Amino acid sequence: MNMITKPQRFSLFQIYLMVLSGVMLVGLIAGIIVFTKGLVVTNLTDLVPWGFWITIDLSAIALSAGAFLLCAGVYILGLKQFQPVARTATFVGLIGYGMAMLCLLLDIGRPDRFWHAFVFWNPHSVLWEVTMCVGLYSGVLLMETLPLFGEADWFQARWPKLAHRLHGLHRLAPYLAVAGLFLSMLHQSSLGATFGVLKARPIWFRPDLSVLFMVSAVAAGPSMTALVSMLAARLTKHARVRDELFERLGHFIGWVLVVYLYFRFWDAFAMTYTYQPGRTEGLDILTKGTLSFNFWVGEMLLGALVPIIILLTKRYRQRPTLRMVAFALVVIGLIAYRWDTNMAGQLVLLSYLPGDITARYTTYFPSLVEILAGAGVIAFGILAVSLGVRYLRIVDHYKEEMHPIEDMEPLAVPASD
Amino acid sequence: MSTHGIDRRGFIKVAVVGAGAIAGMQAVHMVSASQSEQGDSPYSWAMVIDQAKCIGCGRCTLACQAHNDVAPGISWNRLISAGKVGDKPIFLPRPCQHCAHAPCVEVCPVGASYYRPDGIVMMDYDRCIGCRYCEVACPYGARAFNWETFTGPNPVVPTWGQPEVPRRPRGVVEKCSFCFQRIDRGLALGLTPGVDHEATPACVVACPTGARVFGNLKDEESNVSILLKQNPSYRLREDFGTFPRVYYVPPRETVEEEAA
Repeated sequence: MNMITKPQRFSLFQIYLMVLSGVMLVGLIAGIIVFTKGLVVTNLTDLVPWGFWITIDLSAIALSAGAFLLCAGVYILGLKQFQPVARTATFVGLIGYGMAMLCLLLDIGRPDRFWHAFVFWNPHSVLWEVTMCVGLYSGVLLMETLPLFGEADWFQARWPKLAHRLHGLHRLAPYLAVAGLFLSMLHQSSLGATFGVLKARPIWFRPDLSVLFMVSAVAAGPSMTALVSMLAARLTKHARVRDELFERLGHFIGWVLVVYLYFRFWDAFAMTYTYQPGRTEGLDILTKGTLSFNFWVGEMLLGALVPIIILLTKRYRQRPTLRMVAFALVVIGLIAYRWDTNMAGQLVLLSYLPGDITARYTTYFPSLVEILAGAGVIAFGILAVSLGVRYLRIVDHYKEEMHPIEDMEPLAVPASD
Repeated sequence: MSTHGIDRRGFIKVAVVGAGAIAGMQAVHMVSASQSEQGDSPYSWAMVIDQAKCIGCGRCTLACQAHNDVAPGISWNRLISAGKVGDKPIFLPRPCQHCAHAPCVEVCPVGASYYRPDGIVMMDYDRCIGCRYCEVACPYGARAFNWETFTGPNPVVPTWGQPEVPRRPRGVVEKCSFCFQRIDRGLALGLTPGVDHEATPACVVACPTGARVFGNLKDEESNVSILLKQNPSYRLREDFGTFPRVYYVPPRETVEEEAA
């Protein structure tokens, strides 16, 4: 592969891994600073308590949605040819949830009490429900991913007995797919509701937010899976894909984006009719103010319109490079949406003085420590997925000895009992 | 067993037993929680703030800072300038509103914010994980996060009072507690909160003009009950449906002598 004349000490892959490890190391140092000095090193304030890390957290969870969707497609709807894509999605999902949990550990004031939500329940809180679902679903993802280790040659050679056991877990796949669908639909929507139930933030206080978070995740999650797969197949011989699967997936994503845009349009349009303190200012920030470039270019043009045109036009969709661009744009659009949503509600300060409707504004930009720690988490995600491609063959549509899916009847009909 | 470690039946068994165990734990929590329902108490604390009497001196904020050992960067009890009536500047002191339907209690994922039976919205600083959802949810900006550890002397101690509660650790959200420590200790000594200084929130005691009044809404003869009967009053952002326990008597052009 390396055609450079000088003898090299490291392969390109090794250099790539070293760069990612370097970013992770810097992120780790930033994380240690956060844990020793406290969140005072961030630019977060009592006015904007949720910032950059929350955006990574929300995006990582949404971009992991490919896992539950593809597993549901394969094991519940019986779309068996997508099984190798579901493999990729599951691994990417596990890493995505890992990234989200790392970000939450950074973000909460008492990371030593991360387990409190599992012991001290407040079922009335959507954030409690999100925490429970994320925790349980991470377990599901782990169970779905363990067979990948059991199948790896190096793992079988070293721990043959354990490999056999892990491989056997694949029989649980249909049950895990049902559990994953249930848990994911709950918390993907609830993450929107986390914002949507707060009356104190009028731009957020809309029941549609949970629907929009769900639909955007349904579009962007599989886009992430497809992007990772197609990119890996171009960069390394360890990844092999059947392109027609991604063409079909792209077609599906194109229509989901249309549905998303439909909901999003009416949601935003309805807000323009009357002046409501806080809400109107939030909408102005989004459409005319500091977030307007993100909104019009990031979310609407690049995140939705361009991918819709590419993915719903057959001759564009059939061109792999163009399709990859579309998937990447959907991912970018989702991240922009999560950032904009989080910011629009916090940058407007609502008055509680009687009769006072003057809105005041605040600003937020992440501090260097926040950016570096966040970059470390992202580098961890890229590194883990790259290692998965290389050593677990998570992107391999021609792998022999796949689990014989025929011995698992799809769960289209509930089990007899 | 030979082909795989766990069969479907086994998986379901494990799942059912696990779910049952969790549900059982939850039932225990529910029972213990229901023992402290809001309203299940002879007391229902409330504060009435007369804006006509408030001169904006800020002594309430200093007393609060000292008695609750609040860090200099944090205020549980803000004094807000609220325009003028005639020539007179008007102020709006804002403690925690102790809402009867509090967004912070609803959203807290771990139940660290909760209602006491007497209506005080309390913080369990040992349970708070510092996610700051309550801060985002509170319409009144009444909550503050401990971004760093509060070390060193409190600049307003001892001039404005002595700390009565431990300092909060870094990484938790804190807020006004209606000086629950004074109320509870006072009641144990047979005193009446709102009447006896030792049993009354520090801000009420510190107010030089008597603009703040504290008492029991369930007692029809209490200061707060009488004040609310005799005066028009309002609460902050009633449209939010939060039902605050802090009432404001709006400013008037002339302050007449009041019975209470």
